[in-house]
Amino acid sequence: MADDKNSKPLMTGYLMSTQLLEVDGCNRCQECMKWCPTFAVRQDRPGITPMYKNARWRELMAKSHGLRAKIFGPKPLTDDEMKVFTEDTYSCTTCGVCGTVCEAGIKTVELWEAMRPNLVKRGDGPVGKQSFFPKLIKGDRNPYMAKQEDRLCWIPKDAKVQESGDLVYFAGCTAAYRQQALGVATVRILNKLNADFAMLGKDEWCCASALVRTGQREVMAEHAVHNIDALKDIGAKTVLFACAGCLRNAAVDWPMWYEGYIPYETMPLSVFLRDKIRKGEVEYKIPLNYKFTYHDPCHNGRHLMHLKGKDWAFEAARDCVQSIPGVKYQEMVRNRALQRCCGAGGGVKAGIPDLALDCAKARVQDALDIQAEVICSTCPFCRLNLIDGRNAAQSSIKMVDIVEMMAASMGLDTTIPENPYTKYQSQDVLVCTPTECKLDTVERKEPGKDLVGEAH
Amino acid sequence: MAFYTLGLTFELVILLTVIVLAVWIYGIYFNIKKWGIGSTGYHDQLRFSFWLFLATWIHEAFKDGLWVFIRTVILDVLLLRRTLARSPVRWVMHMSMFYGFLTLATLSGLGLMLDIVEHFNLLGFADTAEVAKEALSLPFDLFGYLLLFGASIAIARRILIKFVRDNTSAYDTFLIGAVFLITITGFYAEWMRGNSFLVGNAFAYPIYAPHFALIHTVLALGLFAFVLPWSKYIHVIATPLTLLANRGGE
Repeated sequence: MADDKNSKPLMTGYLMSTQLLEVDGCNRCQECMKWCPTFAVRQDRPGITPMYKNARWRELMAKSHGLRAKIFGPKPLTDDEMKVFTEDTYSCTTCGVCGTVCEAGIKTVELWEAMRPNLVKRGDGPVGKQSFFPKLIKGDRNPYMAKQEDRLCWIPKDAKVQESGDLVYFAGCTAAYRQQALGVATVRILNKLNADFAMLGKDEWCCASALVRTGQREVMAEHAVHNIDALKDIGAKTVLFACAGCLRNAAVDWPMWYEGYIPYETMPLSVFLRDKIRKGEVEYKIPLNYKFTYHDPCHNGRHLMHLKGKDWAFEAARDCVQSIPGVKYQEMVRNRALQRCCGAGGGVKAGIPDLALDCAKARVQDALDIQAEVICSTCPFCRLNLIDGRNAAQSSIKMVDIVEMMAASMGLDTTIPENPYTKYQSQDVLVCTPTECKLDTVERKEPGKDLVGEAH
Repeated sequence: MAFYTLGLTFELVILLTVIVLAVWIYGIYFNIKKWGIGSTGYHDQLRFSFWLFLATWIHEAFKDGLWVFIRTVILDVLLLRRTLARSPVRWVMHMSMFYGFLTLATLSGLGLMLDIVEHFNLLGFADTAEVAKEALSLPFDLFGYLLLFGASIAIARRILIKFVRDNTSAYDTFLIGAVFLITITGFYAEWMRGNSFLVGNAFAYPIYAPHFALIHTVLALGLFAFVLPWSKYIHVIATPLTLLANRGGE
């Protein structure tokens, strides 16, 4: 089918006209190649770097819409070239470091996320298990084939969660079904700080980040509109997120699908907690005597630094970590806006898992280079992938969320009540006595029903 | 009119200039029309419109207000702030090429206008135009050297740095080679006339100076009109427009 005259032309409909301009704006300075986390582990595939992707898109555009195409008619796009371009385009975690360093100021994340739906519409994308996302998310309203009624099954019986209120905690699917320790720690801390908060429960639908990232936008509108309406109905003024992926989607993507007024502000939980720390409301009891380093999630950092400011994006989480007694802290060489992606984002974990794993190993190595004992973060997906990378690298380094660190140091009971998803929990945890906390790893007891291990 | 050679007359040169400009303008129109294939917003319909591209670009460029637009023009487009943040060497290279190229293009346009004034003795300023043309030769030399300096760094980087060399495509080689060649032929044509800036009469060969000047002009106009708008070199125009549309980028 190398010269199929019936091949569809390149689709451009999801690209804004200024994004087509951006493709031509690439001046081939090669800067993106030096920072790209996937190219760093796939040096034999320069095609996956932004510079080459832009060049390829330009060539495909020229075949369908160039001067020659205008005079003599468009040249058919071959299956082979579209297959290669699709693989290259999806071998990107949409981490955005290329956009941060781009001399031409190209907004690369938005560009890749606009190219992908065109490939999906043409029938070229997505790749691997990513194609399960729309069916799973539309069917169950979460990517784990879990019941919506079980959204709050992990909440301890003595915890106080209101049915409505100004302050809302949006837990996300992973904290609800797979990393419940994070959810329990969040609820315990908010209770301890006397912060009255509500949760959506079964009305909380998946943020649908995976759909936007992989170019499968159909179900997205339903989820964005539903979640915003649910948050409005519950009376939200401030919505807290302990999941970087949900936060990015709620702050950046949902509003693009919603036509009405949005009365609430989205806020990283770390910002809320830092405010409490500064007011002296957080009381630590147990030191965490380990050497920590912080991994900036792309979704919470680079993706939000212009919307929320660098202080919210980068400093709040660090301030929380360094407020904990006993913590020895050191930055990895690549941090903040130039951080190295863990490799899980952009649907790569589901679509091209070996690539995600190699990226994670590279990030774990960054931490090992500074002799860190623990990598902490604010993203369940970074954590999941870094744990996989750690295991593959046979390292003893641990991964924890900063909320769990704070809860442990505050001496809070973070025991997860027995529930239908207990057996699927798999993560590093802090096990504390009244005087000290030790790191441990909870192994998963059953493989679970996850068709896709990664949703962001 | 000793400057013109091989049967070229002033009128013919003006005609060729008009053709070259027309091709260039059509090239820019063609690109804007191509960019107009995209939509005007996240969910908007396709418009396939030259004008709606311009409207979208204006909307994006001024989204954060006039002050941000002006700041982007100064810091990002004129001072190449983003390049400086990443690599001072590349910044020197780009600044040299950017300002060398831009000023030479402006001076060439000015020279052509002075030629017209001189030829038709417009408003009786023929003599003044001739004097003004002479005055242009020093800035021509200075900015020519600036462009040559930038192009030399670009070539040196590709020869000396393996990573840069490995990722250099035929396009890159052609563009940098063409810029280098055009600059060198311009200088050589000037040097052949004799009594030149810095080199004096070392390369003086006045009989063939017009021929060489013609080669230089054909190469420069060819690159300008028949290559730039129709290839990836459109980035010369698209990059500043991108920086402005994205208010300086991430």
